[in-house]
Amino acid sequence: MTGIHADIDALKGLHGALVKYRHTQRDVTARGEDQIRATRASLEAKASRCRTQLELSQAELGACQDRAARAAADDTTRGPVDCSGYARAVEQYGERLEAIRRWQQRIDAEASQFQGIAGRFADLLENELPRMEEHLVAIIASLEAARRVQAPASSS
Amino acid sequence: MISRPDQDGDQQLRLLDDAWGKAAEYWRDGTARQFGAAQLTPLLQESRSYLEALRKLMETLEAAERDTEG
Repeated sequence: MTGIHADIDALKGLHGALVKYRHTQRDVTARGEDQIRATRASLEAKASRCRTQLELSQAELGACQDRAARAAADDTTRGPVDCSGYARAVEQYGERLEAIRRWQQRIDAEASQFQGIAGRFADLLENELPRMEEHLVAIIASLEAARRVQAPASSS
Repeated sequence: MISRPDQDGDQQLRLLDDAWGKAAEYWRDGTARQFGAAQLTPLLQESRSYLEALRKLMETLEAAERDTEG
């Protein structure tokens, strides 16, 4: 049985592998898209938090600079008001926001480039692979039919 | 730990390649050669290209998450 029908069994194995491949790679492509969406959302959330912190720091720096200006005009105050901590915070949040924006731009560019190859692969999974599977089924059926015809003749 | 989609895709590609190797041991006629050359080989090549592009993109996404933490 194994010797005579080994080719048919092997083809059935290949057919099963192709069907499984189509389903699992569909899942792979969907997970890839999910990951792109998740990272974009994560970066947008980080950018939003960073913008809020930057605006807050800018407001605090502005208030500090106002106090410093009033202190400079008032001879009775003990000394100059130090706003350097607020200025550092504004600088750090600004740099962080800029870094997030650069990553967002890079991901947009790379994801856009990726969409071309992903589209071709999706088309292959949705259209060409089922045709390959059908072709293989037809080949298997043809081999099985030929064996059925050959079997009585070979036994006589 | 959840595996990355490109890694799972690579594993599935290896399984399909193995299945083709096993089938090719018994199926060696002209139809097999044509099927291999015209259909299966392009599928494997296109899959490799896709999975390589996906791997690079996944690495960029991971780097973006790491670099913007904190």
